Amino acid sequence: MGDVFSVILTSAALLFYVAGTVGLIRFPDTHSRLHALTKADNLGLGLLILGLMAQADGWVTLGKLLLTWVLALIAAGAAAQLVARTALGDRR
Amino acid sequence: MNGRTMIPLLGIRLALLGLLWLILTGGSLDGVLLGLVTVPAACWLSLRLLPPAQIRPLRVLALVPWFLWRSLIGGIDVARRAFDPRLPIDPSWVRVPVALPPGGRVALGAELSLMPGTLVAGSDGTALLVHMLDRGQEVEQAVQAEAARIATLIETDR
Repeated sequence: MGDVFSVILTSAALLFYVAGTVGLIRFPDTHSRLHALTKADNLGLGLLILGLMAQADGWVTLGKLLLTWVLALIAAGAAAQLVARTALGDRR
Repeated sequence: MNGRTMIPLLGIRLALLGLLWLILTGGSLDGVLLGLVTVPAACWLSLRLLPPAQIRPLRVLALVPWFLWRSLIGGIDVARRAFDPRLPIDPSWVRVPVALPPGGRVALGAELSLMPGTLVAGSDGTALLVHMLDRGQEVEQAVQAEAARIATLIETDR
C-alpha cells in the first residue's frame, strides 16, 4: 500500500519537474520562466517528499523530509522574488 | 516587548529549535547532551538576528492547508500551460497597492510567487509589482485577498 502511494506520488512529482523544465524552455521571457520554475518545481518537490515519507522508517526521517520541504519552500519564495526583481532592473 | 509576552515566545523558540536539533541528531543521547549547549545558544542567536515580531503562530498554522491547496493549483496551472502546444500565456504586469509592513510584504511576495498566475518582483513604494502569466486572470483581487490574510497574522493591537 505504502509502495503504491510512493510510486504514484513520485511519478506525479517527476511530471511536474518536467513541466517546470518545459516551461523554462518554451516560455518567452525571464519572468514567465520563473513562474514555471518556482510553481511547478515547488509542487514537484512537495509530491516527491510526500511519496518518500511513505517509505520513512521513523519520525527522524519524516522530520528531515518535512524540514527539507519547508526550507526549500522558503528559499524558493525568496529566490523567485530576488531573480524577478533583478531581471526587471536589467530590462530597464 | 514586555515580560508577559517574552516568556511564551522564548518557550516557543526553545521548543522549535530543540525539535530541530532532535531531528538533525536523530535523538541520540550524545546529541541531546550537546543540544543542551547548542539549543540555548541558537535561541539566543535567533533572538538577536530575528527580533520578536508580533506574529500569531496559530493563525499561521491555520493558513497552511489553504497555502498548500493554492500551490497545488498554481503548479497544475503552470504545468498545463507549459505542455499545451498553443502555449496559452499572455504575460503582463500589474501594480497592486498593499497596506502591509515591509516584513509582511516580503512574506506576501514569497507566497504569491507560489500561487497560480502571480510572481512578485519587488515593490514600488507601497505597491507590489506583480507579474502575471495571463492577463485574463483575476490577479488584483487575489493579491488583495492574500494581503488581507497576511494582515490577520500580524498583531495590530499596539
